[in-house]
Amino acid sequence: MANTKKWFSLNLRNNKTANNDSCGCGKTSGGCGSSENLHHMSDVDFDAAVDASIADETPKDGFGQVFDVQMDRRSAFKKLTASLLIGAGAVSTSCSVIADDDAKEKAEIDWEEQFKGNYKLMTDDEKNATVDRLVRSYQIRTGKTISMSSKNAEEDVLFGYAFNISKCQGYMDCVNACIEENNQDRNSEMQYIRIHEMKDGKGLNFGEADDNYYHEVPAEGHFYMGTQCFHCDNPPCVEVCPVQATWREEDGLVVVDYDWCVGCRYCMAACPYDGRRFNWSKPEVPEKEVNHNQHYLGNRLRKKGVMEKCTFCVQRSRAGQNPACVEACPTGARIFGNLLDPESTIRWVLENKKVFRLKEDLGTEPKFWYFMD
Amino acid sequence: MNRQSILSIFVFAVLFSVVFTSCKKEEHQYHSIIDKIEAESKNYQGTNISSEQFISEIEMIEISEDGHTFLIPERKSQIKSYDCNECHSKPINELKGKGHGQKAHWDLTLVHADEKTMNCATCHDESNMNLLKSLTGAKIDFNNSYNSCSQCHSKQFNDWKGGAHGKRIKSWAPPRASLTCVNCHNPHKPSFDSRWPVRFNTQTEEERK
Repeated sequence: MANTKKWFSLNLRNNKTANNDSCGCGKTSGGCGSSENLHHMSDVDFDAAVDASIADETPKDGFGQVFDVQMDRRSAFKKLTASLLIGAGAVSTSCSVIADDDAKEKAEIDWEEQFKGNYKLMTDDEKNATVDRLVRSYQIRTGKTISMSSKNAEEDVLFGYAFNISKCQGYMDCVNACIEENNQDRNSEMQYIRIHEMKDGKGLNFGEADDNYYHEVPAEGHFYMGTQCFHCDNPPCVEVCPVQATWREEDGLVVVDYDWCVGCRYCMAACPYDGRRFNWSKPEVPEKEVNHNQHYLGNRLRKKGVMEKCTFCVQRSRAGQNPACVEACPTGARIFGNLLDPESTIRWVLENKKVFRLKEDLGTEPKFWYFMD
Repeated sequence: MNRQSILSIFVFAVLFSVVFTSCKKEEHQYHSIIDKIEAESKNYQGTNISSEQFISEIEMIEISEDGHTFLIPERKSQIKSYDCNECHSKPINELKGKGHGQKAHWDLTLVHADEKTMNCATCHDESNMNLLKSLTGAKIDFNNSYNSCSQCHSKQFNDWKGGAHGKRIKSWAPPRASLTCVNCHNPHKPSFDSRWPVRFNTQTEEERK
């Protein structure tokens, strides 16, 4: 690993490995020496500095984000110095002989995370290393342990999905399950799945459909159709990404590296299916509701200003489980499986039912088919 | 043929090969996703992923119907008062009335088709309450109750066998494990009541005002 490293590493804690949880005197936190330290930058100050640099703003678009900002001398000064403070924080922690171990480790992790490469170019060792850092970082910050996977695509697997529009009753159990599974922002009530209530006899008219109904379902004279990311085999969102932060994996999942995304939202504009979501504010999930079974490319906690979307629950599907929406659906309208397995149920549906996809003429080749009984 | 034309043919040949080999992108070698699925599944060897770890806690039985072999949950151990013959030792008429102990399902009503089409004896075997029976009187085990349903619901049965009706249990991976009819449908009242959706997005409502 050391000889493949592409950047300089900080070694703030002198010859300690990143996974060493205790220091020489046996304490798991706090310095071994005196705790009196006037120069030490506390976690609280550090976080405040970071927060100041990404202070919450009301969602604005384009021009407004840059120019239409009310800023007094104080906040302008804060913003200017925030980034300096991050650097200074690392320096002060590194120079201090008595700064606590956790702070040093956190600074090390932040440094490494800052310079890591694009996930799709990483070797398996590098993937494991970043996952370990993220798990440790979460542990330092919250005291809670999560499990995060960097499991790669399995050979001979291509994921596909089928949705039975005669079965869906519009209960939205899938939406709730998805939000809980994927740690979606509770404040903005982000949801990857939308269920469209459509009038019988009007065709697939999304313009007239209602995707935020609240009445007893199924409603007379209506049918229900769910949309989410279709994991196109020829995904336009991937084509337009200027930094290659989103790509199609070997098993067909279209994924996002949240640490590589610059938040330009080109992909959101390019998606013909409105499958992508943007974090306008820092996503908030109450600690007790966080799903601790995570995948780097899936439901790990996101930050402000990055794109996210349905990943067919990569943390579940690559392990062999059905995505949360499939599991939660009480009607059996959702069918998921391996398109390359000739014996799979998804293949039977494609070969025996009359299936169609949305906007097929665009050539995006979605791996999400609709059918009727 | 003069030297010049040989040279120009050579130049064109080189250009031709450069243009056509360089444009062949690995990723777009299939015309459509269906072509890709067909081509890549020809040499399908199976995967390391198995559903077994997810269904190990459920007692399953293997069934084979029209070339589809898969697992369904064992049923008899899930029926609260099986074995039925422990109470149903006499014909129903004799059991009615006083002095016959606890009544297990006295409140059971049949909301399935209409009275002309179905009554208890359409599915239950009066001569042996531990069994179901077909329309022609053939015995059907409670574990294979789908054979009873399939007599009328042949379209649903066909979809279920293939995997278009019903639900897989937990995993998409082989071996296939699916719920059987009575895991979702109450055989005495197979339809579902309407209910309220579990979610209403207040933010979306706010944004669209």
